[in-house]
Amino acid sequence: MKRMAILAATLSIIIGASFAVSAAVQADDAAPMTEAHIARIRASCVSAQATLMQLHASDALMRVNRGQLFESLSTRLMVPFNSRIAKYTQQNVSLVELASSYDGQLTAFRSNYQQYEEAMSRTLKIDCQNQPVSFYDGVTETRDKRAATHDSVIALQKTIQDYGTQFDIFAKNFQEGTK
Amino acid sequence: MIEEQLVAEAHGLSRWERHKFMLLVGLTIATALFLVWIALGLYNSSGAAQLDLSRPGYKSVQSQVTKDDTFNGYPSTGAMNKAALDQFRGLYAPRATQATGVDSFGGDVMSDQALGLDDPSAPSTE
Repeated sequence: MKRMAILAATLSIIIGASFAVSAAVQADDAAPMTEAHIARIRASCVSAQATLMQLHASDALMRVNRGQLFESLSTRLMVPFNSRIAKYTQQNVSLVELASSYDGQLTAFRSNYQQYEEAMSRTLKIDCQNQPVSFYDGVTETRDKRAATHDSVIALQKTIQDYGTQFDIFAKNFQEGTK
Repeated sequence: MIEEQLVAEAHGLSRWERHKFMLLVGLTIATALFLVWIALGLYNSSGAAQLDLSRPGYKSVQSQVTKDDTFNGYPSTGAMNKAALDQFRGLYAPRATQATGVDSFGGDVMSDQALGLDDPSAPSTE
């Protein structure tokens, strides 16, 4: 009986503590913005929106130009080269793997940019004078999506460099093998 | 006489027969609106909207799009020798440099400080 009471008390303490921790975390996540911060957002948001609009346009241009460059590296260089060397040797596994992973990263880049652009468009539609908190939340969301897009660009750039390095190794081995 | 005959004939028609032309026009408009709705949904969901610089707000950057029509790429057929490898290297290296040389979509321009949205009561991070 005593053992049951100790077990029940322990369980109650554990459950109570987990509720307390969870409530504290939630309170921290939903920490209200200070009045000074809201006033600052309301005062600066018109100029911030103008900056975001310019960024929106310049990012669209960057998406088109970068996207076309990234796309051409895959469809006009990596894929034709891989298919050409496949007829002569089986030593191109790493090049094929890199090209395949590059395609996956390109898909992620397109999707991340689309989400970023949609978040930006939503943020720009918010009446920031009357809804400063929503506007700020929109900017935060857009910033996160932009960071994800940036990460996919970094991943693509790394794969481009890796493919170049792997090509040099392949070329060296191929030439040594044909001597 | 003909007019009277037509009126008499019209009175003899059922409600459906009298309005079928208007119904045809209405259904045609409804079908067109439905197809436009589907097309716009596909335009937005496929990512084509993000690449469309003819939308309002993008006119200023439209002329700065780089045309990439002249680059034919590397032929997927042909011999594999030193010349072929050099040809690939010659095509790949400049494009790779171009693609990796610029830091795109960096986050600094969207920071609270850059947009003037930082909390004045927050302790300075500097």
